[in-house]
Amino acid sequence: MSSADANGAPSVVDGADTAPGASEIVLEVKGLVKEFPGTRALDGVDLRIRRGEIHALLGENGAGKSTLIRAVCGASRPTAGSILVDGRMVTFNSPQEARALGIAVVHQHFNLVPQLSVRENLALADSLPRRGGIFVDWNAMEHRAKKLLDRVGLRIDPKIEVSKLRPDESAMVAIAKAIGSDAKIIILDEPTSALLPAEVSILFGHMRRLASEGHSFLYVSHRLTEVFDIADRVTVLRDGRRVGTWTRAAMSRKTIIEAIVGGAKAWVDEINDADVVMGEVVLAAEGVAGGRVKDMSFAVRSGEILGLAGLPGSGAEEAMDLLFARFPMTRGSLTLNGKQVVFHDTRDAKEAGIALVPKDRHAESLLPGSSVRENISLPNLSRFVTDPVLRFIHRGRERAEGMDVAIRLAIKMSSIEASIDSLSGGNQQKAILGRWLASGAKIFLLNSPTAAVDIGAKAEIYNLIRQIAASGAAVLFTSTEVEEFPRVCHRVLVFSDGRVVGEVSGKNATETNIMHLAVGGGDEH
Amino acid sequence: MNISLSAERAAQKPRVDIAAWFARYGTIFSLFALLIIFSIARSDVFPTVDNLLNIMNQVSILGTMAFGLTVCLVMGLFDLSIAAMATLGGYVATFLLVQYPDSIGVPVAVLIALATAAIIGVINGLIVSYLGISAFIATLATGSIITGAMLGISNSKTIITGIPDEFMAIGQGSVLGVSNPILIMLTIGIALWLLLEHTQPGRHLYAIGGSAEASRLSGIAVKRYAPLAMAICAVCAGLGGLMAASVLGAGRPQGVGDGYLLNAFAAVFIGASSLRPGKFHIIGTFIGVMLIGVINNGLSIMGVPTYWQYIVQGVLLIIALFSAGILAMRRR
Repeated sequence: MSSADANGAPSVVDGADTAPGASEIVLEVKGLVKEFPGTRALDGVDLRIRRGEIHALLGENGAGKSTLIRAVCGASRPTAGSILVDGRMVTFNSPQEARALGIAVVHQHFNLVPQLSVRENLALADSLPRRGGIFVDWNAMEHRAKKLLDRVGLRIDPKIEVSKLRPDESAMVAIAKAIGSDAKIIILDEPTSALLPAEVSILFGHMRRLASEGHSFLYVSHRLTEVFDIADRVTVLRDGRRVGTWTRAAMSRKTIIEAIVGGAKAWVDEINDADVVMGEVVLAAEGVAGGRVKDMSFAVRSGEILGLAGLPGSGAEEAMDLLFARFPMTRGSLTLNGKQVVFHDTRDAKEAGIALVPKDRHAESLLPGSSVRENISLPNLSRFVTDPVLRFIHRGRERAEGMDVAIRLAIKMSSIEASIDSLSGGNQQKAILGRWLASGAKIFLLNSPTAAVDIGAKAEIYNLIRQIAASGAAVLFTSTEVEEFPRVCHRVLVFSDGRVVGEVSGKNATETNIMHLAVGGGDEH
Repeated sequence: MNISLSAERAAQKPRVDIAAWFARYGTIFSLFALLIIFSIARSDVFPTVDNLLNIMNQVSILGTMAFGLTVCLVMGLFDLSIAAMATLGGYVATFLLVQYPDSIGVPVAVLIALATAAIIGVINGLIVSYLGISAFIATLATGSIITGAMLGISNSKTIITGIPDEFMAIGQGSVLGVSNPILIMLTIGIALWLLLEHTQPGRHLYAIGGSAEASRLSGIAVKRYAPLAMAICAVCAGLGGLMAASVLGAGRPQGVGDGYLLNAFAAVFIGASSLRPGKFHIIGTFIGVMLIGVINNGLSIMGVPTYWQYIVQGVLLIIALFSAGILAMRRR
């Protein structure tokens, strides 16, 4: 046990750690190395978490965040390096052992069983309270659940089913569960991905209070804005190494992004309106309603990138699906190239030259287990048909077009026949965009095209969207990350409660203005 | 960036070897291993052209049905009605021939039997596409309806007398020493291989099986394909039953297809574990069918009791699915 060196004066990791008033270190990771055959996922990573601090862990996909978390919570054993809890060196053989020492992980989907009640979920970690050693003691379970919910400050009925909770309530139940097993260090892996902004701030309120009571959080997120809001310190990983650790005072958006991607390549400038050549109106909607969309009118020109912004549930995302006829339009009219059109189903929309890139890449756009070629040619097969009866496919032409798209979009792959699953998220998304470029679509509906891709790949996708517009197509863009609109769009329509409540463009298309309108902030700009 | 790329490549090289090779070529390897073992053990009877043709003849009905089933499973549809459909194919053809010996010839009877199967297959597909009932349950139900209808029409009586020789010739004749059932199986196999691998409808079937939503958003008329796939599957099953009736020289109203149901699924799933792990395809199915044929033939030539055939097949199926699963997990 080499506890002495860790309990003594903290060795200098970097400037941030020697800040005055550095309090007790509850978790220390020293020189952690994790090797997988042929690759080094972690290469000598140091990390220290203080009592009562909220410490954000950032990095691209593949930077080593999950590997680090898995090592710290006992899910995998590091190749070299040490983990110290309260200054004592520990070796975990299982997550149970880590939990026993007060380290708990709350995964993205909160590891709760949705069909069970809150009290049952809270009891899952331990053995159930029993009566006479056989029957479940529901009263004891209820009592325990109430105590835990009180501790995290959540006022809900413990009998309620978890599936009926709001996402922020689920997150808090998951945290309560972690605290129930006496967790001192709670690792949160992208807890806000399903939360609305208001819910995020409720969650953050609870987190701050629990931190002030002495709980420490290691917080993993891709949402920089939130990290700046909640984190006391930030550690950035890249290629398995620690780039640095910054205190709240020392971090700026630009430094952190550059640390994450390495160098200045990812800093995408806000879009410049000057170099835009816009043509005729290609698609116009007049009083359109359907699903969550209650009233939408707009006209988009060729060459234009029009943003549809709004909080989740505001109708901005649904507008994309509605325009592509994924569900029926109940009112209003669509005009395509000056002619009124009615789409009965997605086929009609596609045949009219519209392309939809849906939000959930894995569920809605990829063909898993299929090659890059097959993924690119999916909507375009009829072009390779050689005869009208048996409809044989000319594979040579199909392949050539796939290669052409892959080269134009610089898709990184081992071969055009490689499985799409072997590509990174960013390259998968490029293949999806390429699929529609090859189809010759003239109107692109893009719903969160940069969801779950690395920051580096995001920049490439932004550029690609601009190229698509510059080539004469009209682009409609929406995203759950408001910060993307000023970077991507020429003009932004803001939705609230299913209606277009405002429009911003040029210098006015700022994150603040969009949010102001989205939350129902009245006046138009 | 460069570092991680080369690391990935380095990681792929040494690892892929044994497990991936086994997943991909394991079934073919076991097929050849069995061929060699049986050839050495019974060098007098097993490794002969006659015996190879004999094996293929034995599996021709199974093969025809399994090829059709492959088309359904490519789309992700489990068709459990193939057993009843086989019974229907054989019974309807013999029934028509015996009932209307003067007005209906063999070609017409065959055509009507297969058309009936096709129509029921289309109905299966419509139920799946438009009523939204899972194929598994829908075909369980239609299979039961077909079984009931056959029993009702036949009064549970097997048709033995009055079946014309031309009908028997379908299953018992041969061309240049190769029996008709083998030729039928191979024709169906080649046709469906062309369909699945080289035509637009085939590629759409694979696409829908991969992701129905992605296919729909790509403008593919997803709902039209279940009737197509299930009709093809039904015709193949009906044809299989028709061949069985012809070989047997009898139209049984019950239980013709039951013996083929499990074996057909086994063959298709064994096939999905070879060459292209995790994907259903015709060549794989053919390997699965031949594997079953070789095991049954080899074991019986060696005088191993019949019950061992079932046990060996079951074990083999589990090994095949396990090895395919390994690679599917690795891919993620």
